[in-house]
Amino acid sequence: MDVLDLARTQFAVTGSLHFLFVVLTLGLAPLVAIMHTRYAVTGNPIHERMTRFWGQIYVTNYALGIFTGLVMEFQFGLSWSGLSHYAGDIFGAPLAIETLGAFFLESTFLGLWIFGWHRLPKWLHLACIWLVTLTAHVSAFWIMATNSFLQNPAGAVERGDHLVLTDFGALLTNPTLTMALPHVIGAGLWTGGFVVMGASAYHLFKRTSEREFFTRSLRLGVITSFVGSLITVGFGYAQFLPLSTLQPDKFEASALTGASLGAMIGIGQLLQLAIMFVLMPVVYWLPRWRWAQPILMVITPLPFLAAILGWLVRETGRQPWLIYGKLTVADALSPGLTSGMITTSLIGFAGVLGLLAVVDYVLIARTVRRGPAAVTLGADGPADSTERAHALSY
Amino acid sequence: MDILWFGVFALLLIGYFALEGFDIGLGLLLPVLGRTQKDRDRIVAAMAPFVLANEVWLVAVAGVLFGVYPSIEGDVLFGLYPLVVSLLVSWILRDAGLWFRRRLDGRTWQAGWDWMICIGSYGLALSWGMALVALAGGLSGPSIGLLGLGGGLVIAAALAFHGWTFASWLLPGQVTGASRDGRALLASACVAAAPVAVLLAAAAPWLLDHTAPTGTLSVLSVIVLPFAPVMVGAQVWTWRTFGPRRAADRIPSFF
Ligand code: HEM
Repeated sequence: MDVLDLARTQFAVTGSLHFLFVVLTLGLAPLVAIMHTRYAVTGNPIHERMTRFWGQIYVTNYALGIFTGLVMEFQFGLSWSGLSHYAGDIFGAPLAIETLGAFFLESTFLGLWIFGWHRLPKWLHLACIWLVTLTAHVSAFWIMATNSFLQNPAGAVERGDHLVLTDFGALLTNPTLTMALPHVIGAGLWTGGFVVMGASAYHLFKRTSEREFFTRSLRLGVITSFVGSLITVGFGYAQFLPLSTLQPDKFEASALTGASLGAMIGIGQLLQLAIMFVLMPVVYWLPRWRWAQPILMVITPLPFLAAILGWLVRETGRQPWLIYGKLTVADALSPGLTSGMITTSLIGFAGVLGLLAVVDYVLIARTVRRGPAAVTLGADGPADSTERAHALSY
Repeated sequence: MDILWFGVFALLLIGYFALEGFDIGLGLLLPVLGRTQKDRDRIVAAMAPFVLANEVWLVAVAGVLFGVYPSIEGDVLFGLYPLVVSLLVSWILRDAGLWFRRRLDGRTWQAGWDWMICIGSYGLALSWGMALVALAGGLSGPSIGLLGLGGGLVIAAALAFHGWTFASWLLPGQVTGASRDGRALLASACVAAAPVAVLLAAAAPWLLDHTAPTGTLSVLSVIVLPFAPVMVGAQVWTWRTFGPRRAADRIPSFF
């Protein structure tokens, strides 16, 4: 592989890993916020236990979202300095706004939520998780706005050797943004709903003692994925209209693009029909049907797969352009980048992040298996009972 | 407006060293101050509620670098290529140590991730020191060298001092055996941030020369500045919630 292929591989690997984790973050955040709200309003302990159990899964998943996101943020400068030279005056703005106006707040409020159990007043603590949910979605908006600029450089004109911003509004109403953003947010909800559904099916199948807990959770998961699937599929088809004029040959760009599109739609359409016509009508009884639980567990990873396929379509479909019709990927490569440099960093990033991703999924699976009783998020008690809890669980 | 955004950039970078500096510093000192698992749990629990609010300052630095100084963003990061890579890998390992150390049973698991926190913190401090030396030399020489290593050790010492002071302030008499007041913490924050502040002052004319056009800055100002009070408020709230008056030791920590 030459330098260009290596740099593209690095971006594809870290980007795909990043999205595997953030798609679940986007979907689980509102679910945990809703559970927390029900706890705050009713005071019913089952809602507290649900908030803490699904909350621990949410934050464990969140960790990898940060690690991979850090690499994404710096990778533009490392491998693609041509991008900031040519389009930095426009491309940099939404990224800067994302870090200051969204991620900065998201991270601070998440810290307050994780460590604020038993310390913050009830309603302020609840406000934290809603602020995290809100800022996570604002963050998705700005990142998608930035990505949409690459698909369709709206609001900019070429002056001399670089692009200048002429119309910020056009950047925000980019047709490749307005349909894709809801598609992605729907995909997040769908993924989050499926994870809750699949993990609940596991406990019900194993007949653990947490029957009521996982009966409620399973229903919530199915209903969430139903809502998510309607949004995803609706806005999925809606994307074809703007694409037919802005990127007309997109799906013929390569065999990979076409195949990925077909697979995403195949998975999406089939599952969406199954949720609507099979799972939803029986959602009340579903937790009791033991034979159905293994099926629910097996289909849990499918939205993750569809989401990665979706990104393959979107990003391979714009090749060879980095900014569609303006700047090629090859021209954006940092001048002077050697294959030695990129190989070392590729091994470093892909190796470390890949290993940590595996560890993270093992930890999530363990959290699921050990069930709500073993959760450490928001665990309470003075120092001496902490010691006892340590002795028991560590 | 270019002065304003230079101020924002400088504030974020100085704030990163003043705040995240003590997390890195405590990571450096973890094997020294925390000889037993219980001691290490206490040290990590002390910094844990601040880490997410602290490390995000550097993410913001990168965002502003991209948005306000796009014509040098690529050159700076690319010019420091091996250091940026080692900084990122170290940062990720340090964070992984924090997030994972208490997720499983077993002394080996926990002690192993505690080492990861320490190694990652050394990687961060040394990479920063070398990067600051390379930047001070105008990115002309090789980014890794003896002088850089010296810079790395200076930064490591400054951050370790800051971390030690933070622990003595939050948990007086417990971890370090000493107690320090808020004024001492402010002073050690200044020590941690001094090198980068000097560099920023020297680089100010060069940065101002490379500011993005007014149109871009106006957009940034209109959208970001209204959030500034919320950002400051959230940080203040973190310090009020987890400061020394709330016994940090009473509650088992998530990290
Ligand atoms: C009937 C089902 C579906 C249709 C018609 C559909 C349609 C599309 C289209 C046309 C694109 C490419 C947009 C572009 O290149 O600009 C796309 C991208 C994408 N799809 Fe789907 N999709 C479907 C199902 C799914 C499912 C089930 C998921 C995940 C749960 C998913 C996740 C994504 C993602 C993450 C992207 C990349 C971002 C974007 O362009 O929106 N899609 N989808």
